[in-house]
This record gives sequence, C-alpha cells and structure tokens, in this order.
Amino acid sequence: MIRGGQNYVSSPPAFSNDGNRVLVCTGNTVSIFSSSTGLQVSSLEGHTAPVTSVFVVPATDILCYCWTSSFDGTVRYWDFSVPEMVKKLDLGMPIFSMVIPSFLGSSEENNAKTANVFAYVSVHDGKAWQIRKCSLTNYQNVGKLVLKETERLEPLIISPSGKFFGIKDKRKLHIWKLPRVESDLAVAKKITLHHTKTITVLAFHPTERTVAAGDVTGRILIWRGFGTQKFLDHSGSNNRISMNDGEDKNGVRQNDDAESCSAWHWHSAGVCLLSFSPDGAYLYSGGKEGVLVLWQLDSGKKKFLPRIGSPLLYFIESPDPSLSLISCADNQIHMLKTPSMEIIKSISGIKPPLSYQEICESFSGKAAFDCTSGLVAVQTENYGIQFYSLFANRGVYEVQVCERNHQPVDEVTVAVTLVELSVDGSIMGTVEIKLPEEGVGGLVSLKFWDLDSDTKRFSVSTVIYEPHRDAHISAIAFHPTRRMAVSSSYGGDFKIWVCKEGDIQQKGQALQNSGWMCHAVGSYKNKAMRAATFSADGSVLAVAADTVITLWDPDKNVLMAVVGETPTPIVSLAFAGKSEYLLSVSHGLKPQLSVWSMSKLTMAWSYRLQIEAVSSAIDSSYFAILALLPGSNERAFKGNGIILLFNATDPIPVASMSVTKAKGGGLAFLKGDLSERAVIDGKTSQTLLVYINGDREYVIFDPYDKEGHKLSIIRQDVALEETGQFGYSSIYGELPKFDLQKDKAASVMSTASERPWETIFTGSTHMLPPLTKLCSVFLESLLEKRAALAE
Amino acid sequence: MAEPLHSSQPKTFPVKPKLKPKPRTQNQTPESKYWSSFKNTQIQNLISVPSLTFSPSSPHPFAAAHSATVSIYKPQNDPLDSPTTTITSFKDVVSSLSFRSDGRLLAAGDLSGLVQLRVISAGDDALVKVWDVAAGDSPVMELRGHRDYVRCGDSSPVNADTFITGSYDHTVKLWDVRVGDSKPAIEVNHGNPVEDVVFLPAGGMVATAGGNSVKFWDLISGGKLVCSMEGHNKTVTSLCVGRIGSGSDEELNQFRVLSVGLDGYMKVFDYSSMKVTHSMRFPAPLLSVAYSPDCKTRVIGTSNGIIYVGKRKIKEEEIEGRVSEKSLFWRIRPLEHTEKKVFRPSHFRYFQRGQGEKPSEGDYLIMRPKKEKLREHDKLLKNFRHGEALVSVLEGKNPGNVLAVMEELVSRKKLMVCVSNLDAEKLKLLLVFLRKYCTVPRYSGLLMGLARKVLEMRVDEIRGSEALRAHIRNLKRSIEEEIKIQQSLQEIQGIISPLLKIAGRR
Repeated sequence: MIRGGQNYVSSPPAFSNDGNRVLVCTGNTVSIFSSSTGLQVSSLEGHTAPVTSVFVVPATDILCYCWTSSFDGTVRYWDFSVPEMVKKLDLGMPIFSMVIPSFLGSSEENNAKTANVFAYVSVHDGKAWQIRKCSLTNYQNVGKLVLKETERLEPLIISPSGKFFGIKDKRKLHIWKLPRVESDLAVAKKITLHHTKTITVLAFHPTERTVAAGDVTGRILIWRGFGTQKFLDHSGSNNRISMNDGEDKNGVRQNDDAESCSAWHWHSAGVCLLSFSPDGAYLYSGGKEGVLVLWQLDSGKKKFLPRIGSPLLYFIESPDPSLSLISCADNQIHMLKTPSMEIIKSISGIKPPLSYQEICESFSGKAAFDCTSGLVAVQTENYGIQFYSLFANRGVYEVQVCERNHQPVDEVTVAVTLVELSVDGSIMGTVEIKLPEEGVGGLVSLKFWDLDSDTKRFSVSTVIYEPHRDAHISAIAFHPTRRMAVSSSYGGDFKIWVCKEGDIQQKGQALQNSGWMCHAVGSYKNKAMRAATFSADGSVLAVAADTVITLWDPDKNVLMAVVGETPTPIVSLAFAGKSEYLLSVSHGLKPQLSVWSMSKLTMAWSYRLQIEAVSSAIDSSYFAILALLPGSNERAFKGNGIILLFNATDPIPVASMSVTKAKGGGLAFLKGDLSERAVIDGKTSQTLLVYINGDREYVIFDPYDKEGHKLSIIRQDVALEETGQFGYSSIYGELPKFDLQKDKAASVMSTASERPWETIFTGSTHMLPPLTKLCSVFLESLLEKRAALAE
Repeated sequence: MAEPLHSSQPKTFPVKPKLKPKPRTQNQTPESKYWSSFKNTQIQNLISVPSLTFSPSSPHPFAAAHSATVSIYKPQNDPLDSPTTTITSFKDVVSSLSFRSDGRLLAAGDLSGLVQLRVISAGDDALVKVWDVAAGDSPVMELRGHRDYVRCGDSSPVNADTFITGSYDHTVKLWDVRVGDSKPAIEVNHGNPVEDVVFLPAGGMVATAGGNSVKFWDLISGGKLVCSMEGHNKTVTSLCVGRIGSGSDEELNQFRVLSVGLDGYMKVFDYSSMKVTHSMRFPAPLLSVAYSPDCKTRVIGTSNGIIYVGKRKIKEEEIEGRVSEKSLFWRIRPLEHTEKKVFRPSHFRYFQRGQGEKPSEGDYLIMRPKKEKLREHDKLLKNFRHGEALVSVLEGKNPGNVLAVMEELVSRKKLMVCVSNLDAEKLKLLLVFLRKYCTVPRYSGLLMGLARKVLEMRVDEIRGSEALRAHIRNLKRSIEEEIKIQQSLQEIQGIISPLLKIAGRR
C-alpha cells in the first residue's frame, strides 16, 4: 500500500540544525526533505494520528534530535538522521500544539539543565482545549495545572528567547512569562493584550519584549515593551515602571500592560504569517493575497515578494542565514534565498481541492488519471492543471489553462471545470468557463492538448470557443485507440471531434494546420446529456440522455440503440473493461448503480447506492466503485465511504474496503509495467487500484490481494544525497577525479559545492547578519572538522 | 522538482482577441499571390473586344480590336484611357490581330474578309491561306481541309514553316508550308468547336480551347492528348501563355496557360503539374486575354467593351539594381565598407570601451531579458484603470481587441461599472461600436446582452441627448435588419429540412 498526497502545510515545518534538512508534518508521519534538492530523504513513522508539531533540539550541526507531538496523545523523541524513535511519552490526550522553552535562550543555561526538560502543550481533555505544562524527562507533572482553557484550537507561540509564550484568543492575546527552570511553578505571570478585531497570528521579537499580531482586516499591531509592570517588577527595575506609568501609553488599549502599540496596514485581507528576522530588525508578514512583505522594524519601510499565488501560512528561518522557507496554502513549500528574496526550490505537494466547488452545475473537481505513467492531473486554484506523480509522491509540473494571474482574494469568475486524459495519456481535454457578469459575457471554451513526446509536457493544440453554444459541457471522453473525442453538453447535444492526423503524416510543414475539428453532432429528443463514454474497442459510443442511454456508431454517427430507463438522470457511464457490460450511475433522490448487458440491451443488475466514482479495469471485466455510505452506517464501517470491487457478470462484490473522506473522491486502475516502481513482497503486481479522497490524499493498493500485503516503494531519488565538504573542497570545490581513461567531458562534472562565502555575504550590507555571526561561520567553513562525538 | 514550479518573476498575460478558426482551404499560395498582384484598371467605352495582342518588342504596347477599330495602347501610360494609335480603316468588325515577331508589323482581319498585312490567314470559308506581306495581293498558298469556320491559328515558336489552325469543325490541324500538298501534318479532334489554339513555348505542345475545356496535345508524339482542363463553366474563348517571374533564368520555364471564358473566370493552369493554380472572377463574359512578354501587364477583353488592364508593380530591388548600375558609372570607386575594429587587451582603448561596444568573436553574451511590450489598454488594465482601458480600446480600430478587453472586464466584474461611468461623449463611442458590430455573429453573443444593459442603465442620458438618440435609432435599424435576415434564413431552413430528411431516408 502506497500512501501519498499528504498535506505539507497543516503545521509549521522545522529546519534541522545544519539547515540541510526540512522536517515537515505530513499526516501521521514526519517527512524529511533535503533543502538543497527539495526531494524527500526519509520519514519518521510511528504516530497513529496526525502529527501536530515538530521541534528540533538546538545543538551543534551533527546532532539530529527532534520532538514531535500528535493527536494520538503521544510525544515522541526521534533521532532523525537514522531515523528512529528514541523515546515515547503518552499523555493520553490529543495534543494540538507543543512548545519546549528549555532549549531556547542562552546556551550555558541549556547545558546545565538538560536533565529536566519542560514542555507546554495544548491538549484536549474531552471538553475544551487546555494549556498545560509537562515534564518531558518524567511526565508525572502533566496535567498539574491548567493555565488556560480555550474553545477553539489555538497554536502556542514561543518567543525565540524562550522567555515568553502566548496564544491568541479571538480579540485578545495572552502572554505568559516563563519561570526560571529550577522553580516548580508552572508559570509565573500572565498578561492580556486587547484589540478590536479578531487576531489571526502573533509573533515574538527575538530579543526585546515586543510582540506583533495580525488581524483579519490586514492590520499588523506591534506592542513594544509588553509586561513592563507585571513581568519586570519581580526583577526590581521600579524606576522604569514609574516613568512609563499612566499618561504616555500611545495606542495601548484599556489598561494593557505595554509601553506602546503601533499599527501597520498594508495587507488587504487577513494576515496569516508574521515572523521576526533573527536579529530583530525586520518583520516578515504575509496574508491571503500571497505577497510576502518585509518590514523594516524601525522605519516601517517595505519590500515585497509578490505573486506567490496562494495564501501564505508559515515562514521559517533556517540556521543558515541565507535560507528560509515559506509554506503556502496550496500545499507548496518554497525555499527562499533570504536577502534577495527569490524562490530557489519548491517542495511541491498535491494541490488542495478547489474551494469554489459550487460555482456552476457543470463543475467537476474530479481528478483525471494517466493510467500508464501513474500521473494524476488535478485542477488548481490558479487556473491550471497540476500533474502529480503517484509513485514518486511529488508534483511533476503544471500547465496553465487560462491565461490569467490568480489572486487568492479575488472573487472567482474563471474556472477550469473539467479535465480528462485519454487512455494512453497523450491527449488532454480541458473545459474552462467564464462566469457572466449580470448575464453578459459568459464563455465556455474547450481546449485539446497534445503531449510533447520529447519534453513529456502538454501543450495546447486546439481551442474551441463555445463548443455547444452557451450550454455547459458535462463530460469529455476519448476514443481508446484513435484521436477522437466526444463532448456532451447540458444543452442536449454531443459533438464528436477528430484530430486531422493525415496532414501530419503526409507533410511535415502542414503540421501547424493540424487540429481538432467537429466530425459529427448528435442529439436525442433534446434531452440534457450528462455522460459519455467509448467502449473498450472504440466501436460503440454510449451517451446518457437524461434517464436513458443512447448507443451510437462514432464513425457514421448513427443511433444504434436506446437502452433502458433509470429513475433519475444518469451522471456517469463506463464500460466494464472488455466485457459486454455498461455501467451507469445516477444521483438524486433515487441514486442507482445499474449494469446493462449490451448483448441483450437490458439491465443485468443494479444497486441502490450513492456512487461517487466508478473505474473499470482495462483488460478484464472487473470494475470498482466508490460508494458513499449514509450517515447512520458511518460508525459501523469506520469511514463514510466504501470501495467495492465487482466482476461485471456477478452482483456479489469480490472485495470491499472502507475509506474515509469519500466525498469528492476518485478511483482508477493503474496498469502497465510497474515492476520498477512498486513491488509487493518481492513479486510484481500487474493491477493496482488508486483511491484519491476528497482532500486529495491517495492510496495505491492491489485490490485482489486479500491479506493486504504492504506495497513498498523503492525510491531511487533518495540515494542522491549531498555530503558536506570540508577544508580544501569546501573552498575550491571537488577536485576532478584524475582518471586517464575517462574522457574530459565526463570528468568536469564536479558537484555543486557548498561555498559559504558565496551565500553568507550576498545581499546588501545592511541586511547581513552581524559580523560576529558571519565570522564564525566563515572560519568554520575553512577549518577541517573532526566528527564530533555524539553525546 | 528539477526546477521551481513557481518562478518568482511576475507574469503578465496581455489581453488578446479570440483566435479565429483557421480556414480549411490553404492560404494564398505564392503563385496566386503573384497572379493577384496585378492591379486592375479599366479601359471603358468600347464595344466588345474579341482580340488582344501584345507587341513582342519593348515597351510592349498592346493592340485591341473593338468593332471596326484597332487601338494600340501603351501600358506604361497612366491613365490608360486614351490609345496612342487608332486604326479605323476597317469596313467591318475586326476579329483577329497579330504582331510580327519584331513588333513592327501588325496584322488584322475583319469579318468582311479583308485582311490587312497578314501572314497566315484563316477564314470563315474554311480555307487557310498563307500570304506574303511583301508580295501583296495573292496568297502564297491555300490550304484546304477544314470543313467549318476557321477562327484561330498560331505559328510555331521554334519553326517558321509550321503553324496550327483550329476550326469550328472540332479539329485542330498542324500544317507545314514546305509540304504544300494541302494536307495537314497532324490532325486532332478537340470534340467542340475550337475557339483558340496556342503553341506552348517549347513548341512541342499546343493548347486548344473549345467548349468548356482546354486540352493539351503533344505534337511530337503525333498528337496525343496530354490532359484536359475542365475548370470553366461556359465556353472558353481565349488562351495565352503567361510567365511567372521577371526574367531570372531559373524562373524562365515557369510557364502557365491563362484561359478566359464566357463565365467571367480567368484561370491559370500549370500544365506541368496539371493543376489550376489560380482563378479569378470578372464581372462580365470574357472574350480575349493577352499577357505581355515582360510579365508586367495582363489585359483581358470583355464582351461589354471593357478592357481590364492588370499591371504589376516592378519589384523595388529590381529598380534599385538598375539605379545602382547607373550610379556605378559615376562612382568610380565604391565606398569601402568600414568594419569596426575589435580592440585587444593590448590596446589602451580596450579599457575605454563604452556601452556601444560590439562583442568580439569569443565573448559570451548575456542578453538582457526582453521587456514585454504592452499595449495601451493592457497597461491601463494592469493599473486597474478599467474605464480608461475600455475607452482607449474603443478609440482604436480593432473590434477583436475591444471584445477581448470587454471579456477581461467581465471576468473582473467591472464591465457594468465601466459602462455606468462613461460620460456622454464616450457613451457615443460605445453606441457607435455597438451599432457596427453587435450583429456580427462572432461578437453578438456578448454585444447583444451588453447593448440591452447599456440601454437599461443609461436610459436617462440617451433620452436627454439628440445625438445619442440618433445612434440608438441606427442601432435599432441594424438590429431590425438582422432580424429580417434571420427570419428569411429560418424560412429557408424550413424549406430545406424536409428535403434533407427525405434525402437522408434513402
């Protein structure tokens, strides 16, 4: 079983201490990516519920330990270089957020007190979310004191100095000052800061007592010197309090404990991301509009990285001062070169399903599968199609369908409603619609794309405006062997399109004139046509006309037969492989799956089920359906959907699997030679079924296998790992291997070396980290290192 | 993930008009471009023109026979209205004309039987006579063999002693003067009364016109039919040989046969590939065609007395070539082409090179990324100045661009706002545009709806202004016209569809 398509942006990722690895929470696992190549290196597996936070223990470059918390109620301690679990603590309550202040702050304090590590966790006790303190060395202390109860999930934010942590709670900020490590008190002091709008995000200044918060209207508020009265009187600096007392608290609301509060307003929509730069001179902010803004904290001057194209969620700085990352809501993690603000690499997850499912009747969020190469094509928010490799679990590339820039805050007026791939994956058909403004100017266009055989990318071959006048297109189907397609419309007709192939073969220069042309038009009693499909050999075209199925000869465009009647309109049709059976799915009040025999032109058998997706194996008579279970059955089946595998001749299912998040899901049989990619216990499997759920997480499994053998992937790309270089090679690069047999061209390929002076000194001088920091990095890179002893 | 999926460079998508469907027929071939490059002028006020001929010597004046007159025109004259010479010593309608090969002698024949200065003559008495121009009155030879009117003939371009004649008895005969026994050397049957015969330039083939067809015969193989061109719908009346190109050697053999017919079509036939390469329509039945030897002029005579003179512009490079030849005479030593010296690092000026410095051979060039050129409306749209963008594109000429901008505004949900904010002057612009284009099928989908919305939203302003009301009246008229057309189309559809159904049943 191969799982993939996880959400990379559910919680903030973390950098390893040397900055070469990125730890990303991906569902029940933590995936470790290489920050230089953007490829997955390994993963930490063990949690049984989604991982909610990951925290890398700060140490020297060599140590690779991290803490993770999860909804399964456990906190685990990992050595992620191996990777293996070192320690596991069971708190018994789902953990949403965890901060570990002990490792932050000054290093000498760290060394002294490694024995006792405390963490603050946000847990759920069955009624509400609570913030508690627990000891990670001996976890008896957990649940001793409840600091705060909140109704909603609020992540804990800790200051980089490790002295404060806080949460947002609607229009308030709660900030706690942490006690000295040796004291047994859970927490010492708490202050609350108020605002008039709902706060969406907060961040602490690395050195000063300054906190920044963003709200839903796009304002950024900065409180300077918070907690002057409450947090500092303990240490006895009374004179400062008296100075700031009372009158001179500009911008601070009510009797909040802060010296001043200023507001910046640039973002037009809610702020989602706030982060101070490590030296505290800059503030990064980002919001729904997908623009990263860099504020100079003293002057309020701005610098922008525009058009990232998706709401920004997290900004993480790496220990390497030139590298940072931003997580975007479209499941992409971009590596950013910090001073110049340019994207150098992306970790590309599968794009999330579109948020605007309901804009029109013809919208279908269904993914299209390329069965031979194991790719899935999904619509993206920025009017494109993403091709995602199911086996490699990463995005391959994207094509732009509508020539428009996407602004996440804009109202949706243009959408790609349908995408379909041919069986061999060489042709793609897309439908895009433009919504009319007050009934004026709506447009439907159909595009056919050809796969470039060299680059393996699709390029548009034909654009057809308003293929069915102003009626929307309900389905596209491709002929299994020839370059022929059919599009059916709600307006009551279907059109058969053919691609002029003759021209291409006859003369090379006529190639640009090749394109798709309408070959035939058909309609049946002016009924809305919602589905169309070709039989496996392509000799029969089945088109659903409302509640009946019409069978056509696609070449001569002759109506051959009309089959049956279902109680509600048919929305999906499929031939069961090479067999003589045709499946029809109808939704509505009386949902139904019907299997029709083509030799007798009658219904063979049917089920009353709400079917979400149907897929048939190409070379056999098996087919699989994804059925939604009614609400009452949800407990019995542990999930809201079920996959049933049938032989077309027999109404008794061969196999069944229950699945979750079935709404909006899809199914497909993958075929072809998968032996190099997927192996089940040593023997290769010929047929695999892929199920993609409503959140676009997918699983690939062998449907005929009763025991549920693990399907393991052999990752080839893991092997290419970069090794750190020291001494001579780090400055001058790898010496070419002195080999007389090799020809010269081969020996030139020296690997891209890490040359820290290239990266640490880039950018303008005022942006550089302080010289003391740079110096140590620079000198360190020149020195030869001996492998440090692991403690 | 070999490359970042997101480029950080901001992309702009300029607003483009919708693509037009490609025509199924091929675009203009270079050859049809050549033939349609002849710019037609008309010579009017004549009676039907049965014969036209060009002088073979430069500057290639052409003679036109019309009623009882022969007019000689010089194609270089502009305008062509007046003939340079007119010969009116005929007693009846002139039917045939021919220049001698040196261009100094013109032969003409009229229907009364008089022939002036003729070399070979053939007549309605089915006799073919050979005359000697110098000898005068009596014919050198009389050739009997045709059984009907002989209306055409041509002498071989390679042999002075052979010629062909075509007759209304459907036959074409090749004669040799040297044989002299009044028997044709070769005789072929065209199948229709022969209207015109012409030798092809190589001399081995003849083209004959008769009925609706033009036939090509190979004389060397004894009169074998090579091919037949049946492109015309009515009788083909005249043929001539045309040439593509203006004299360069490789193009010399690009000969075509030009044929004209009573159906008003002129067709160009490529007899080497057996294809009609160009076809052109004239508004009257055509009677005669001639093509000047220097390829600059093509004249076509019609039955209603108009001569269409097609003149081709001489290519500029040819003229330039001539000019440079002339100027070469004056300029004894042409200016040397000075090449800029590339400095080496050994030269001190190497270090003073400026921005204008040319790259040397081995330099690696880093090109500045090309800046995308945005048009006015794109710039305005980029700055969210929607109303101005709409006005700027309305002031332009291209309706496709206007539609593209309107569609872009629709997808930004700003079109209605723009329309409601237009002032009276700009509203007039919009109304003019709507009147012009809202019935064009490609645009009507959007524009009809928009026109209705405009009227709804701006009803008060329109009532208030006389000018706007006039525009609305025009708009109304054009829409009414369109509705009428649609109704008549529907009527036709109603008539045709039962017929189609019956046809489909069979």
